[in-house]
Amino acid sequence: MTVSARGMEITLSAAAVRFAEFQAVHPTDLTIRAGEFFSILGPSGCGKTTILRLVSGFLEPSEGGVQIGGMPMAGISPSDRPTALIFQNLALFPLMPVWENVAFGLEMRGWSKAKRRARALELLKMVALDEQADKLPSELSGGQRQRVAIARALAVEPAVLLLDEPLSALDLKLRQHMRAELKQLQRETGITFVYITHDQGEALTMSDRVAVMNAGRLVQLGTADDLYHRPANAFVATFVGETNRLTGRIEAVDGQSARIATPEGVFVAVNTAGLSVGEQAFLFLRPERLHVLEAGETQANSLTGHLVRRDMEGAFSTLVIDTGQSQLTVHRVNGGGPVVPDGPLRLGFSQEAGVILPLSETAND
Amino acid sequence: MTKLRRAFGAPLSALIVFLAGIWILGLIAAPQIIMIEQSFWTMQRPEGAAELSVKIDALYNRLDVLALDHAAAPDEAARAAVDAERDAVQTEITALEVEESTPVKTWTLSNYGQMGKAHLAIFAKTILASLAVTAIAFVVCYPIAFAIAKLEPPRRAAMIMLALVIPYAINELLRVFAWQMILNYGGPLNAALGLVGIGPVPFLESGTGVFVAMVYAYILFMVFPLYNVLETLDTNQIEAARDLGAGTIQIHRRVVLPHARPGIAVGCIMTFMLSAGSYAVPYIMTRGTADPWFTQLVYNRFFQATNWNVGAAYALSLLVVCTGFIFLMMGLLKVRLRDIAK
Repeated sequence: MTVSARGMEITLSAAAVRFAEFQAVHPTDLTIRAGEFFSILGPSGCGKTTILRLVSGFLEPSEGGVQIGGMPMAGISPSDRPTALIFQNLALFPLMPVWENVAFGLEMRGWSKAKRRARALELLKMVALDEQADKLPSELSGGQRQRVAIARALAVEPAVLLLDEPLSALDLKLRQHMRAELKQLQRETGITFVYITHDQGEALTMSDRVAVMNAGRLVQLGTADDLYHRPANAFVATFVGETNRLTGRIEAVDGQSARIATPEGVFVAVNTAGLSVGEQAFLFLRPERLHVLEAGETQANSLTGHLVRRDMEGAFSTLVIDTGQSQLTVHRVNGGGPVVPDGPLRLGFSQEAGVILPLSETAND
Repeated sequence: MTKLRRAFGAPLSALIVFLAGIWILGLIAAPQIIMIEQSFWTMQRPEGAAELSVKIDALYNRLDVLALDHAAAPDEAARAAVDAERDAVQTEITALEVEESTPVKTWTLSNYGQMGKAHLAIFAKTILASLAVTAIAFVVCYPIAFAIAKLEPPRRAAMIMLALVIPYAINELLRVFAWQMILNYGGPLNAALGLVGIGPVPFLESGTGVFVAMVYAYILFMVFPLYNVLETLDTNQIEAARDLGAGTIQIHRRVVLPHARPGIAVGCIMTFMLSAGSYAVPYIMTRGTADPWFTQLVYNRFFQATNWNVGAAYALSLLVVCTGFIFLMMGLLKVRLRDIAK
């Protein structure tokens, strides 16, 4: 391992981007810590790529500013920033052999041919591709091309590596493998990784912290656990992971919890959003936090329904339960109890399992 | 062939093969073959023409002698004998004269050796000038094509390309005549130069006019192939190069130009072929006041010297050089025929 870069901190201060009438990014404050694996997660068109372009320097903010390592970046071109970008389609140079691709940045810095080839081979060895150095990118597989792109970006020893959905073209197996590789690479190099994705699985598995964006705004910033278990709003609750949504009215508030009346029943759940009595609200329930209750078993909340479908997913089964008002999805670990019979049943969940959030846009709207 | 029959059935595939055959024969092979054949023979006086003419002279003398014999003939029988011999000699003369004066088609390479120093110089000048036209057209078109293909939004790019094409809807002769007027000794350009105290400059007479008109006439054939190929360049490649520290010149040298090679080859080949083969542009622009273009020499071989064989040889020499240029460009740019076909 010979990449000796040091991660840098990135700060957006009230940075906003407007294209004519279209506000691509609303004024955003964001600090990405030096050396962290940071993901920006959001549906397409949410402004995440625009933020990436702000950091890489291909775009200047309409308002506000960008700092990298404490240095204001206004007017500094992409080539002079301590960043390297990995494109969604990788943008390898198709007419150059692999090693020249990797050495391109060094060539531009005036390194001699022998020196830059040696360095390129070193980097290719790091990604286990030194054997393929003289092939053309088109002769490599998707995963290999991916690694060439990474080696090419690392060759210029960036303090910040920007990745624009680089795994989206790979098949699932390879994608999972590359996730692990990227994560390990980030740990080894200590470079700040900013990873753009619309795939919540990628963001949750790799990142130290994730920023969720929607419609040009940062809607939540936190760890994977924060986003999954403590969504700050209905959008995050529905965009990150699977969830069941019930709609109701707050009946009582007690500190961090509240009682909500829904057509499915009256439930007590977490209310960190500070909703008050009488307000309409959503109640979100993760499928794996809903349990099928045995006869006589009780939990803080319970409701009745009957099983209408069972999908075997391997490690768990997905049960679709009709409550009469709506259909709820329940994940049940296989081998974790007797097979649930068709017909009427009772579901229960703890007080911490439900999250009450104000009515607002969800990812499914 | 089997594939074709399976796809279209026997009658239709026969028709396709027949039409393709006509195309290949009539449009590609036949014109070349006729020119090549023409260039390899010449009509010459028959062998032994000198001896024949001596023989004919002798026969004429014999005819004169027979005329005297006729006058001196003692009786009818002797006169008839003389007349018979006279007719025979006359017939022989006619036959020999036809033989002497009928040229014989002779196969030869000599047509290709007919180019004198002056014509060779014009040939070389035409090739060099066409190369220069090609180079200028490339230098002018590359930035334009790049700007339209990569810097403009697609809608505006389409409008600009349309605007570029519009002048070409106008007859080439008309456009060239217009340039002839613009560059004329007493034309608007010289009038404008006169206002700032320059000139008048003999644009047409110095050959500059041919140059200008040619770049103008054939520039579109450079713009389009370049635009087409640059449009297919992934903009991310340019951004990736910039992100890795490349400046504008390096981006073009290492990324854009290598990508554009097939387009450059096609553009250069078309511009060069059209320039080297242009007849109307040099003819109109110079009207004999400056050195002719090689194509004018070819024309003159055919219609003024009425020596079609030498004309064919001249035309083929030009074709050979132009074909050589195609392969040279393909070699230089490492482009294969398959890339060009795209």
